Amino acid sequence: MRMKGPKMLLTSQRKRTSRGVTVAAGLAASALAVTGCTSGSSGPSASGPNGSGKSQITIFNGATGTIAENFNPFSPTLLQPTLGVIYEPLYYYNLASTAAPKPELATAFKWNAGGTRLTITTRPGVKWTDGQPFTAKDVAYTFNLIHKTPALNTSGLNATATATDDNTAVLNFKGKSFTQEPQVLGNTAIIAEHIWSKISDPAKDINKNPVGTGPYKLKSFASQSYSLTKNTTYWETGKPQIDTVRYISLATADAASAALLAGQVDWMSAFLPNLNDLIKGHKNLTYVNTPALTTSLFTCSNASLGCTGPQTDPAVRQAIYYAMDRTQVNKLAGGGFAAPASPTMLLPDRDKAWIANPADVTAPQSGDAAKASSILAAAGYTKGSDGVLQKGGNRLSLTVQVVAGYSDYISAISVMATQLKAVGIELKSTQLAYNAWNSNETTGKFQLTMDSIGLGASSNPYFTYQPRYSTANTAKVGEVAATNGNYARYSNPTMDAAVAAAAATNDEATQKDQYAIVQKEIVRDLPYIPIYVNSTLTEFNTTNATGWPTNDNKYAFPASWKSWDNGIVLKELKLVK
Amino acid sequence: MRFYLQKVTFYVVAFWAALTLNFFIPRLMPGNPVDVMLSKLAAKGPVTPAARHAVELLLGTKTSEPIWSQYWEYLVKVSHGDLGLSVTYYPATVSDIIGQTLPWTITLIGLATVISFILGIGLGQLAGWKRGMWLDNLLPITTMFQAIPYFWLALILVYLLSSRLSIFPLFGGYDVNGAPPGLNFAFIGSALYYGVLPAMTIVISSVGGWMLGMRNMMVATLSEDYILTAEAKGLRPRRIMTTYAARNAVLPSLSGFAISLGFVVAGSIVTEQVFSYPGIGSALLNAVQNNDYSLMQGIFLVITFSVLGANLIVDLLYTIIDPRTRARA
Repeated sequence: MRMKGPKMLLTSQRKRTSRGVTVAAGLAASALAVTGCTSGSSGPSASGPNGSGKSQITIFNGATGTIAENFNPFSPTLLQPTLGVIYEPLYYYNLASTAAPKPELATAFKWNAGGTRLTITTRPGVKWTDGQPFTAKDVAYTFNLIHKTPALNTSGLNATATATDDNTAVLNFKGKSFTQEPQVLGNTAIIAEHIWSKISDPAKDINKNPVGTGPYKLKSFASQSYSLTKNTTYWETGKPQIDTVRYISLATADAASAALLAGQVDWMSAFLPNLNDLIKGHKNLTYVNTPALTTSLFTCSNASLGCTGPQTDPAVRQAIYYAMDRTQVNKLAGGGFAAPASPTMLLPDRDKAWIANPADVTAPQSGDAAKASSILAAAGYTKGSDGVLQKGGNRLSLTVQVVAGYSDYISAISVMATQLKAVGIELKSTQLAYNAWNSNETTGKFQLTMDSIGLGASSNPYFTYQPRYSTANTAKVGEVAATNGNYARYSNPTMDAAVAAAAATNDEATQKDQYAIVQKEIVRDLPYIPIYVNSTLTEFNTTNATGWPTNDNKYAFPASWKSWDNGIVLKELKLVK
Repeated sequence: MRFYLQKVTFYVVAFWAALTLNFFIPRLMPGNPVDVMLSKLAAKGPVTPAARHAVELLLGTKTSEPIWSQYWEYLVKVSHGDLGLSVTYYPATVSDIIGQTLPWTITLIGLATVISFILGIGLGQLAGWKRGMWLDNLLPITTMFQAIPYFWLALILVYLLSSRLSIFPLFGGYDVNGAPPGLNFAFIGSALYYGVLPAMTIVISSVGGWMLGMRNMMVATLSEDYILTAEAKGLRPRRIMTTYAARNAVLPSLSGFAISLGFVVAGSIVTEQVFSYPGIGSALLNAVQNNDYSLMQGIFLVITFSVLGANLIVDLLYTIIDPRTRARA
């Protein structure tokens, strides 16, 4: 019940107004104060010449959330620029091309005939960022440290090292070790003996002040961003040109694309299907597409190791391979950016020399439903009442597992399901969280799973065939197979023998013959059914730096998340005047 | 005294139950941290089979021990404040990660929640007191904003105000190119500036609830006898509105406020994803994605602690604010 006489009304209203005005004034004052504080520091800042006239580029390498400080080159959770930008390897292996390894900290290497001794000549005139000279003793120390500390030995290195003089290091292996070469030369950061001999626990140390030989050294670190500054005593004169490199953390791909368009990120790798439309109005944004990973249907192919389901029949796998219309899948799911795959699981562009049979260079790009149907009919499949093929009362129905959130994979599966339906194969999909999907893949608890065959230590087909097809790298269904190993449970003694023979020699011609045997087996058996080589899109902003890799000049693998290559790219960048 | 002892005992028991659940639930998830770490490594470069052994040694994952001895170890460690090593951010300790991220979340979300509460209560109080005013039109607008999915509202605001109009920054907690974190004016100013848009989205999307609840309680309270007495006694309307009506009307909202304060820590994941804000929500998301038991448990512990703590404090405060509870005790 309201009781307001005219007197009360006037009084209360006046008071309310004055109070309202006071509150509003207070808010306005504090808002002004806040903007006053921040007008000194910049608003949404773009990278580029900041106050002191130094050049800077900003990189998004996939870091999300808070960044944990870890510049230990042996740690599994290291920060990516540690490998290649701060520390360097002996040689640089460019996985985007067939060029020979590029000398970095080493200028020459030689194997003995038996593959048990590797002699490395190190580069003279290199200095650590603390001024001490780099010698072969540092190389020997690095490999000995790895060898004697099991927690650091992620490559299974079985060698000891000595430095015979300031520029020569010798590694002595226990057996024939030609296949260790890319790991030793291209994938090991060389550390300083005078620093690391004083560290008590090299596996757990976060190496707060890293001393390396690379083009940049650490400038400052905060949990949301860290920056590196030019190494002025770098061994390659005139390089690098950009003064500061800053790494940031972003939560989602949306945030990354927004930052790219706003000019706040200079280098990032993100799959943006409508990339061409996005950068249409921005003259200084460009991108490069370096397809590198073969997206495939991994099949649990071996009934004798516990696999169950129609995919254990090679005829079914062959039928799926031929029925797929890869052009349509690329258009609808891959954004048109994917490249043709090869049933040999090598890259048709880069590895043509390794592919023995010209018919196996690329997979058929259009679907051949007739051929698929005839393969299945010859294997004894007949059409059931619901249009799905069946054999012995079992319907030809397959389930493919995929990570929820991998939208391009999910689209590809739905396109393939329609294509396979025409042949009478039913394809269903299950979306899982990453951990559950990964756990199922390593233990073989799947019929089909959607994954890709990744980058090996070098472009030699050994690093695709040995991990993915060898009996040594597989396990029964229910047990864990080696990481990035033989998830398809494939076991073929002919193939194992050929791979072992290829590993025992350094002669490329012999290797090529052995790989021809391997390819004949896997093209027939298809435990991994290739779809296409998935694009790797990398976006660049040319306002602050030029000299980025292009489609014509792939001097490095340009993905912003790739270790080792990032150092090569940063060295090649040129200032924009 | 016995009243307080009973209350505290209850909360201790609740805390122990939460700890136990906290220990077992992450272990019910499929996969183990070693596998996940290896597969994440494999996506970035070559990983050899020998890597598994090295990583297991590194992480010291004693998954072969029986679950009960692991549980007992866990309880002992928690009582000493040792929350373990994080797998995702190895070798940083869980306490380090929480220490880095928690202040950001508490400051941003905490302040935003408090502002939202005060604003909602204030507006609800006015709307209840002066019914039929233009303020009543604010109610459907604010409840509409509450009904819109929060992340959608946040994305639209980011697009409009940050991408298009460039009034606010696109991402981050502070300007990484400016002053480094520390107690200096430039950093605090930058942090405030970067926090305005996330705070604004939180306030816009939650003020409706407080306002509606307060308005309804005011209307109910205004029909009480003591309000009539106060008016009859000639007190100023403003004094009646605040000290008599609002003070009684706010009681139910206070318990809701306590609960939402407790969930400040937990409820920030979406905000942090949209704004790339460096808070504890994104650390939790990373922990779950990497099967990082220690970090997950540590963060769950913090959430449990804050919810229980906030409840306990408001429970006790209630006895001060509302004398009726004291009389019964």
